[in-house]
Amino acid sequence: MKNRILIVDDSFYMRTMLKNMLTDAGYEVVGEAANGQQALEMTSATNPDLITLDVILPDNTGLDVLKGIRQVNPTVKVVMCSAVGQEIIVNEALESGASAYIVKPFSEEKVLEIVGSALQNSEENDA
Amino acid sequence: MKSREQEYREIFMSEALEYYDAMSRHISELEKNPEDTAALNELFRLMHNLKSNARAMGYNQIGEVSHEMETIFGLIRDKEKSFAGTVVPVLFTGVDTLGAMIRAVGEDAEMPPTEDLLANLDRLVQGEEPILIIAESDTDEEAGRKLELSDLVYIQIKKLDHLLNLVGELIIDRDRIMTLGREIGHPALQAAASHLFRITDELQYSVMDARLVNVGSLFNKFPRVVRDVAASEQKEVTLRLEGQDIQIDRNILQIITDALLHLVRNAIAHGIETPQERQKANKSPAGRLTLSAQTERDDVLIRVADDGRGIDVESVRRKAIERGLVRAEVAANLDANAVRAFLFEPGFSMAKEVTEISGRGVGLDVVKLAIDSLGGQLRVESELGQGTIFTLVLPTSIAVKGALLFELEERSYAIPLMHTDSVVALEPEELHVVGGTLMARIQEENVPIVNLKTLLHSGDGPLPAAIHEDLVGRQRIIIVDYNNRKLGLIVDRFLRQQDIVIKPVSKPLDTIDLFGGVTLLGSGHVCLVLDVPALTRLFLAKRP
Repeated sequence: MKNRILIVDDSFYMRTMLKNMLTDAGYEVVGEAANGQQALEMTSATNPDLITLDVILPDNTGLDVLKGIRQVNPTVKVVMCSAVGQEIIVNEALESGASAYIVKPFSEEKVLEIVGSALQNSEENDA
Repeated sequence: MKSREQEYREIFMSEALEYYDAMSRHISELEKNPEDTAALNELFRLMHNLKSNARAMGYNQIGEVSHEMETIFGLIRDKEKSFAGTVVPVLFTGVDTLGAMIRAVGEDAEMPPTEDLLANLDRLVQGEEPILIIAESDTDEEAGRKLELSDLVYIQIKKLDHLLNLVGELIIDRDRIMTLGREIGHPALQAAASHLFRITDELQYSVMDARLVNVGSLFNKFPRVVRDVAASEQKEVTLRLEGQDIQIDRNILQIITDALLHLVRNAIAHGIETPQERQKANKSPAGRLTLSAQTERDDVLIRVADDGRGIDVESVRRKAIERGLVRAEVAANLDANAVRAFLFEPGFSMAKEVTEISGRGVGLDVVKLAIDSLGGQLRVESELGQGTIFTLVLPTSIAVKGALLFELEERSYAIPLMHTDSVVALEPEELHVVGGTLMARIQEENVPIVNLKTLLHSGDGPLPAAIHEDLVGRQRIIIVDYNNRKLGLIVDRFLRQQDIVIKPVSKPLDTIDLFGGVTLLGSGHVCLVLDVPALTRLFLAKRP
């Protein structure tokens, strides 16, 4: 069974790149959200296994969205996508239940490694 | 085929230009009102996105400048700095320079120098005063200013509709000229005509192409719909979207919007069971709903599939009899497909109780009508207890349709290929009269056959009973398919298969629903296009 991933990023460029990387690696991208509201709607509608979540979104901060996602779905794995200089936000996100983070600009290997291990942890926890 | 790098670059460019436009707008807003928090937050976000995207593309200079700008906008947002004094011109220069750098990427040109700007941005970050260099002459700067227009244009669909209509007219004239060229036999005219053929062909496809949009532009509205309907129906539903990048004519997508909404609401309200029911049936508590699109030859298939309780064929059969749609003895012999086709009859609703969202009294017949108006097909498959799949078979484009041309009483007619199943020639021995109706065995199926001449001339009364002796020689039969029902039409002569441009029938003839429109043939003759749904209904109403 393919792992199902939701991408949340306000940049179409970033979404396209992430989608290609993940799809090429055999994941199923179940949706793309460009803002916080869409992210919450799509989380409950598509019920993904993992969400990649951009730290800065037009209508909300990634942190608020993370908290919203946790309310809708307490178990979904969330990987924060941040840039250099956002360590404080990332730390707070990890404390609020994010599984891992990726720092932009990211390499394909790094993305797959982090997503892969976040999903693996979830399978071990389920077992 | 575009390489992925090229695709990334194009996306980067169009998004970066968009960001630059928005940055210019927001920084001007900020200048007017330094307390405009919304503009400030946007500037911060846009810088952040431009930085991330530029770094991913390897445009490090853009990344560096936008990073510094992001930092300063962050400081202003956090009230550690204010948008005033020397900060303002440096940030304006920053935005201008980013614009110039983005253009340089687009033109494969050299990047403008950024050392002075970066030094000043750095000074601002460190809390020092920037060193402003006053340009020696303003005119130089003004002369170098460029106004960028986006590569994308928004266009009203009305204008594209008009363009498409003109192309339709052009194609009709082209076919006429082609035929004349052949008739006159003038080689130069024929050569010019065949060139015209190629050009108009390309023009037609370009215009059709310009109207295509991603199915995703409609699909992406459904997560919200599904969430709301599921909540009000107290169901748990997981939505899956597939094939969002399949392309289809924008107007077709518009026309099927309500139909798709209706099917999705139905699936959640009546198809998918409550979590308790599902658990009893050994299913996961959350129902699965899939919206998918795929292309098949020239058609686009859109499916709404659920894993709910499925359609109970026997209960549909009973209800069809109750409603007087079919006689009990006929109903008993209908196969599951034919029975499910009753779901699309006007006023046939299976809902035991009318729920708020699935619509009062609006049945699948409305969905069916919308699909019919496009010359498409609606199919349903279902397995009791396993789920239901509705398939919308839609043309990719509306302008031109493949059609089968035939002759009846020395007049040409056309039938859209979307509704033709096959073409056969049968000897009289292969046809049998059963209860006044001709029947033939075609591909393991008993198909009623009717002489199209008789059907069109039958007036108000029922069809006269078929008489086997009337059949002389081989019978040319077109098998049409509508709503899972096949019907054979006897015609005089098959002509050919051809792409036609269907024009609506003008008043007062538009009340004759047997004809879906007219088309002009290359010969200059008007050719009526038969409407298969109407023809099938006429036959069912009048069969002896």
